[in-house]
Amino acid sequence: MSEIILDVRNLTHHFGIGKKLSVKALDNVSFAVKKGEIFGLVGESGSGKSTVARCVMNILKPTSGEIFCEGINVLNPKEFKKNKKQLEASRQLIFQDSASSLNGRMTVREIVSEPMKIHKVKPPRGTFDAEAEFQLFYVGLDKSLLDKYPTELSGGMRQRVAIARALTMEPRLLVADEPISSLDVSVQAQIINLFAHLRCEHNCSILFIAHDLSVVRYLCDRVGVMCKGKLVELAPVEKLFASPRHPYTKALLSSIPIPDPRLERERVMEKFDYDPKLLSGKLREVSEEHFVLWGDEE
Amino acid sequence: MIRENPFVYYGKKLFVFLLSLFILSLAVFFISRLAPGDPLVSYYGDRVEKMSVEEREWAENKLGLNESLPVQYGRWAKNALCGDFGISYKYKMEASEVIGERIGNTLVLGGIGFLLTFVLALGLGILCAYYEDKWLDKLLCRVGTITSCIPEFWLSLVLILIFSVNLNLLPGSGAYSIGNKDDFGDRMLHLVLPLAVVVINHLWYYAYMVRNKLLEEVRAEYVLLGKAKGLSKRKIIFRHCLRNIMPSYLSLMAISVPHIMGGTYIIETVFSYPGIGKLATESARYKDYNLLMLICLISGAVVILCNIIAQIINERIDPRMRESRHIEEGEVAENGK
Amino acid sequence: MENKFELVGKRPTVLTESKKRRTLRGKPVISVSFILVLILACSFCELFMPKDPTYMDLYNADAAPNGEFFFGTDAMGRDIFSMIWYGGRISLFIGFFATVISVFIAVIFGSISGLAPKWVDSILMRFTELLLSIPSLLLVILLQAIMGKANVLSISIILGLTGWMSMAKVVRSEVRQIRESEYVIAARCMGAGFWRIVWKHLAPNFVSSIMFMAVMNVRSAIVAESTLSFIGMGLPLEIISWGSLLSLAERSILSGSWWIIVIPGVFLVLTLLCLTNIGNHLRKAVNRKESNL
Repeated sequence: MSEIILDVRNLTHHFGIGKKLSVKALDNVSFAVKKGEIFGLVGESGSGKSTVARCVMNILKPTSGEIFCEGINVLNPKEFKKNKKQLEASRQLIFQDSASSLNGRMTVREIVSEPMKIHKVKPPRGTFDAEAEFQLFYVGLDKSLLDKYPTELSGGMRQRVAIARALTMEPRLLVADEPISSLDVSVQAQIINLFAHLRCEHNCSILFIAHDLSVVRYLCDRVGVMCKGKLVELAPVEKLFASPRHPYTKALLSSIPIPDPRLERERVMEKFDYDPKLLSGKLREVSEEHFVLWGDEE
Repeated sequence: MIRENPFVYYGKKLFVFLLSLFILSLAVFFISRLAPGDPLVSYYGDRVEKMSVEEREWAENKLGLNESLPVQYGRWAKNALCGDFGISYKYKMEASEVIGERIGNTLVLGGIGFLLTFVLALGLGILCAYYEDKWLDKLLCRVGTITSCIPEFWLSLVLILIFSVNLNLLPGSGAYSIGNKDDFGDRMLHLVLPLAVVVINHLWYYAYMVRNKLLEEVRAEYVLLGKAKGLSKRKIIFRHCLRNIMPSYLSLMAISVPHIMGGTYIIETVFSYPGIGKLATESARYKDYNLLMLICLISGAVVILCNIIAQIINERIDPRMRESRHIEEGEVAENGK
Repeated sequence: MENKFELVGKRPTVLTESKKRRTLRGKPVISVSFILVLILACSFCELFMPKDPTYMDLYNADAAPNGEFFFGTDAMGRDIFSMIWYGGRISLFIGFFATVISVFIAVIFGSISGLAPKWVDSILMRFTELLLSIPSLLLVILLQAIMGKANVLSISIILGLTGWMSMAKVVRSEVRQIRESEYVIAARCMGAGFWRIVWKHLAPNFVSSIMFMAVMNVRSAIVAESTLSFIGMGLPLEIISWGSLLSLAERSILSGSWWIIVIPGVFLVLTLLCLTNIGNHLRKAVNRKESNL
């Protein structure tokens, strides 16, 4: 189980604003996703989570750093070109907002079978229609939806269609960029269960980006916490929730509401004041597999 | 945004102008070399046929026809800068001289037509916007749509048929009656019909533009404020709305110079009005390339100049445009994030 | 007491029209049917043409409209009624074919410019602006002079080559807007090629905004063809189109035979008017917000 499928090393990305200003969206981020694992990436909005996803999918070209996907350096143009076909099939991205990631002028049938048509794959179940039907069934949708347009579906259905589209290529790595945050809570639960189910059935690895900690706790194996473009803590999910070390993580965890009103009343919100001192230094291992960003002076 | 130094700004515009002119001349030169026909013929006319082989060679050498195209272009450009554009095959004189004789007529027709269109369109547009959706507006819109659909040449023909042939009121061709070259009144009389065609043909397009821009403006919030303050409808339109649409109208008019110019070319042909438009169609018909090239160059230069003027109006005179450029730059930064 | 509070936002009941009327209301029914009838009549003109349009009946040259020649004859004794239908075929064909060429170039050029990096885009756009600024008639005359003797195909190609610029600009700005949308990014991630993205994802979105321009392009191509033929740069007299039909008109001014000028011209203007009407309908209706005045 320890085979590494995605290895991100020292990823740094700056966005230029005008001629002189630039924003450090990612600063020296390193992590690895193992085979068959769900790796969660959490953080407040603007912390650079989506930028990681976009760099991994080659949508953005990072300023520096390396990304290895199944041993292929995807940021090396030569190597990327050589393995483009394979990468495009084995990595799939699920967007946050399914309303805009599905073309409103295509039917569900066309959307789901599009990747296969692009890659000229012979559908395993005979025809494109049969394959699309199967994938819809797999994500829990009825085949009567095949001829509907995305605008006619509800948010949860749309997100399932997006997942079905990603699954048609039998990906080994699924990058889910906040796939549930635009959904209602009840629908969120269904989608999360779908993801958990996917891992069991397909044995695919998932890079799961979210800002909802309770979801991450339920779904993920390991979690990385991001703040201001930096990875501040990286640990297996149980360890992170049991003994958070970085002040930002502590603050983040203390913001989770507790479903018990008596405990909820006693909950203390910790504050994190973005002290630059706490956001510098490098990741150090504090216990087994538990890394924390720690300043140099301590 | 820091405002640029005016010298730098106008310097840049001048550079763009010269660069475009250069590209234009390149294009015109190479296209004319692609054209069928012997360039020698276009330079020396019928004499070529009587030339011996040696004479031919000498002539080709002199014109540099046996050299590569870029060298030829260099030579041609050098001559052109000195004002030598070759000889017009049909008129047997310098191309620049032929054009010099005619350009005044075109400028009079095009210039007066342009000014009339400009003023009338503004007035008509305001009138339509003022009486929005009333019968006057509706009537003008209908009539305007119909007139804008009539091709220039047909309108000219019909006007000639009515006013010149049947009613015998106005002259239907030429710029002056024979022997009356210096009679101002006679010239004006000859201008009436061509001018009418120019104006009728272009008027509605611009009037409609003014009308729509004004109607957009009238829906702005500040109009409501003006109304609340107790300003009259007329005052709001003339003092506030009009001021806001003027810069874009001006730049539109600057861009539209070539369209009106292109229109006069056809009108000149129909009315056999001795301007460069008639010259252009004639020289194309007789394969008089030197003349055609020069006409293309002149028209192109005017067009480029007008576009740059429109840009300057947009960027310098309208304060809102400056603002919006500022915002645009901000947006780029946003998108980058 | 009852009148003390007024209900705000209460709307008067509006009687809805019957469904059939509603679907047809505001649509340019007359224009569309005129164009359809014209197309049909021109394509099947052999069935009802009383005379051979190319036959020169010199005994009856310059005849005014009468029972035999409905619209009269021209200076060469050809029957104008027959020529209008016969020539309309060519005029309409040139209009549509030139537009097809223009749309094709505009879509490709606009998509490339819209999807390309910024510097390529600005070079391509400067280029179109340069072309756009040359009076198109002059460009056409220049090209025509080079291409030599005109025929139906060459003239359509020239008009197609000179009419795509403004459409390409619209396509480009639409593409710029949707290229950052997530479904295009998603398609790119899936490895979709340029053509697939243009055809499947971009085209359905900009097709509505260039429809209007395409109709207007048909119109301006027809105008350009007739103008060119009229000044003797376009189709020769033997190839009958509305333009070449009118090119005899200049001579007929002196002989006073008004029908040669007026009748084909009325057909031309009516066609153009209908096309304009359809085009205007396709364009988004002007913002009908209440005036603040």
